[in-house]
Amino acid sequence: MTFLKRYLIPRLIQYLLVTFLGLTAVFILPRLLPIDPIQQRIAQYQTFGMIIPPDQLEYMISTLRSLFGLEGTLWQQYVMFWQRLLTWDFGPSLARFPTPVSTLIAWHLPWTLALLISSLVIGWVVGTLVGGVAGYYHRSKATRLLDGAAMVVRPIPYYILALLLLILFTHVLPLLPRGGGIGIGVTPEFNLAAIWSILLHATLPALTLIIGGITEHFQAMKLIVQTSRSEDHVWYARSAGVKDSTIVFHYVIRNAMLPRITHLGLSLGFVFSGALITEIVFRYPGVGLLLFNAIMHGDYNLIMGISAISIMVITTSILLLDLLLPLVDPRVRHQ
Amino acid sequence: MRKLLMALSVLFVIGSLGLGQVLPPGVPRAETLIVHSLFAPAPMPGNWNLWAGWRQNNNGLHQFATEALWTLNPNVVEGGIINALAAEPPSYNEDFTQLTIKLREGVYWSDGVPFTAHDVVFTVLATRETPALSFHAQMLEVKEAYAADDHTVVITLTRPNTRFHTAFLERWGTLRPMPKHIFSQVEDIMAFDFHPPLSLGPYVYVNHDPAGNWALWRKRDDWQRTVTGMLFGEPAPQYVLFMNYGPPESHIMAMLGHELDVFQGPTEAMLVLLEQGDTTRSFREAWPFIDPRDLSTRGPGFNHLREPFNNRDVRWALALAIDAVEVAIMAYDGMVALTPGLPLMVLPEFKEWYFERLEPWLEEFTLDLGDGRVFHPWDGEAPWRLLEWAQQHHQVDLDPTDTDAVRLTLGYGWWRHAPDVAEELLTRHGFSRGADGRWRLPNGELWRIQYLSGTDPTDMAYIVALAVMEQWRAFGITVDHVPSAAAGHLTWHGEFEVSAASHGGWVGEVWGVHPDLHIGFLSLRSDLVRPIGEPTLGWAQRWSDPRMDELVRELELTPWDDLERIIELGLEGMKLQIEEMIAIPIINCPIVIVFDESYWTNFPSPANDYARSDNFTTWPQLKYILHHLEPTGR
Repeated sequence: MTFLKRYLIPRLIQYLLVTFLGLTAVFILPRLLPIDPIQQRIAQYQTFGMIIPPDQLEYMISTLRSLFGLEGTLWQQYVMFWQRLLTWDFGPSLARFPTPVSTLIAWHLPWTLALLISSLVIGWVVGTLVGGVAGYYHRSKATRLLDGAAMVVRPIPYYILALLLLILFTHVLPLLPRGGGIGIGVTPEFNLAAIWSILLHATLPALTLIIGGITEHFQAMKLIVQTSRSEDHVWYARSAGVKDSTIVFHYVIRNAMLPRITHLGLSLGFVFSGALITEIVFRYPGVGLLLFNAIMHGDYNLIMGISAISIMVITTSILLLDLLLPLVDPRVRHQ
Repeated sequence: MRKLLMALSVLFVIGSLGLGQVLPPGVPRAETLIVHSLFAPAPMPGNWNLWAGWRQNNNGLHQFATEALWTLNPNVVEGGIINALAAEPPSYNEDFTQLTIKLREGVYWSDGVPFTAHDVVFTVLATRETPALSFHAQMLEVKEAYAADDHTVVITLTRPNTRFHTAFLERWGTLRPMPKHIFSQVEDIMAFDFHPPLSLGPYVYVNHDPAGNWALWRKRDDWQRTVTGMLFGEPAPQYVLFMNYGPPESHIMAMLGHELDVFQGPTEAMLVLLEQGDTTRSFREAWPFIDPRDLSTRGPGFNHLREPFNNRDVRWALALAIDAVEVAIMAYDGMVALTPGLPLMVLPEFKEWYFERLEPWLEEFTLDLGDGRVFHPWDGEAPWRLLEWAQQHHQVDLDPTDTDAVRLTLGYGWWRHAPDVAEELLTRHGFSRGADGRWRLPNGELWRIQYLSGTDPTDMAYIVALAVMEQWRAFGITVDHVPSAAAGHLTWHGEFEVSAASHGGWVGEVWGVHPDLHIGFLSLRSDLVRPIGEPTLGWAQRWSDPRMDELVRELELTPWDDLERIIELGLEGMKLQIEEMIAIPIINCPIVIVFDESYWTNFPSPANDYARSDNFTTWPQLKYILHHLEPTGR
């Protein structure tokens, strides 16, 4: 009962409130953009050769406005937004009219999730474990070598790192495809050829993300472990003759893992926004580039669709972390 | 060391398995032309219904699948308009209220259905009845459309219009016939995706990328039954792949790896490719490399509803404060054609129609400096000054004594760089320089120009803007660069002072191979100007003049084939724009292109000038020039 009153209910209220405010911001913010989707569409027509006699431009503007559902007051549009949200319908994309926003997200999101979740988890597991061990044996030659490597790699801007690997593996050693999610002529179906092609195309973008992830988690974990290895309980265990491996994995790394688990949970929430630079460099068909183009075109509905999903996933991740933390950390349970 | 060598050997063996190869099995590289998909990713991959707004023209749809009634001749040396699906030029009745179109016989859709007048009539009427379709606004002028027979279309209009047929004239975007037997079965044309697309052109759809980065097309078995086949012969490549490799660096690597035959991109990428590729070349073998014949211009434009840009002398002062040759060198290493007028294309026919008749007037043209003093601003030597600079810094293949070659490569000329005259023009209106050398407005405040541009630093308008700002700063004007992702919106609403895209809204973009400038003057009409804060219906720069209104009216009353009268009126309009310095066009947009001749040769060059180079990337005339290509047999 105390757990419900003092821990669960306040967090649920906070979760609902933050989600509501976040989604309201998602409705308001695109409308504050100094970009008009109608103007963008007309500019697109004109850029690509369609001559609109100026006399008939006004007529076209009103047609597009009604087609895009941008008529009515802001309040009416806001009510419509919530009605749509509750039925999981974000309406048509304005830049890609009449394609529904849900269709676009459904096609692009799996690519992003597969690439980012796998890269994130691999980078987190490897970086955290190696960083933990390196933090404990911080004076060893191997640690100094790894530390040096991380200090060289981590400051490299991601775009440069991605480009270096692209040059290395597609030009100097032409081993991997230059980009895209799947080979030309290969249909994304559940068969060996498609899976092989998808893996082949994901290798290079994943590698860049994993390298970045490993160095980040390695350095963070190493620092935490270096601090916790000099704590009293570690000295006590060592004095009591407990084996080094037991101390590292059962006492030091386990304690140091708590902030890293929080970090992982939060990072997982953010994968729904995509990885813009990765998608640009490797032409990866994820949701990041989709969102970027939606912003550039003032595509309110698509921005709202992607952001709403992202917000809901992030707030839900935080709630789940809050609920899981007592299971992992006895100190929270005790409090 | 041995282990390292072994590892590298293993990697090379794996590499040779072709894991990174771009084409699918069954599509031979030697029979495939791979061209750069310039506007990628396509906005609506898999939706080929270009009648329902902007779809993905550029990934082969307007190059291969669709066909127009009339089209610009891809050969800009010959110039003129080609009868494509139409068998002859448009035929109007005496008062221009009825248009008769005779169609070419023997043309078939790729599913074997013959193309007839019924397709054209259906397209016209469906477009008129469906408000959201492209060209709906123009088709509202149609009173009636019917097929007099299988190859004759008759369209009657609600008002006299000498240029109604231009809605069907392919420049870069036009109303092309729909296949009636497909679209008439569709309940909602707007929602129809037309997938897979049917072809009226010489290639058929094979496959596309759902993310919009590539599209693959195969030559039709019955290519002889297309306009292309009838007029030009068989296109050489069996397959054409439109491909976007992502950032310029990836395109460079793709071309150096012979996985890209045509690339249009930034000058830096072009220079790298020319330097590093054994089989790469541009339009020209040596400096200036580029093809200067794009139909648009770049340079600053003014908001004419804002002080002090509503003052003609101020606009002229800002032009004379610019050294165009320096701008060309700073922005593009001199690889551009200077353009003093809006629009003044560097094309042989255009030169004959306009520049040669304008030149004596330009020589005589003066600015009044008061006290009986005048200034001749025209500088016909500017292209030669650019050439002289280039000869000191580059290997150049232009003969300075060949006047035509110089003018058609580096432009006709520009305005003198005359900061002293600019100073006079400003001070007579109360402008002054402070002790710091900075210009003050007549009210004594610091003159601070806000220069709006987009945010893409590789965009030509952006690059030119940077160079122009340097010139004005050197003259003593304080200039703030305002890069904004909303530049289009802000200019449309008049919320700017100086804009980087002065040629927008069709001013400065014309047919190029036909002398009619109506298309470029139309949006200058004064009744279209809207106040600041409201989206304008005409030119974003909001200049207007009753004399231009009269010229537009006159042009609308002049038949499309009365070339002499059209040129006469066009010249009047050009002179008016120049006198008023309504904007400052500086360069024609350079076509920065690289061809890799590893698999295909005989791309255009000055000596083999069968098409503008950008016809190989984005223009719909690509289908008409592919018979020129020759396989290398590699």
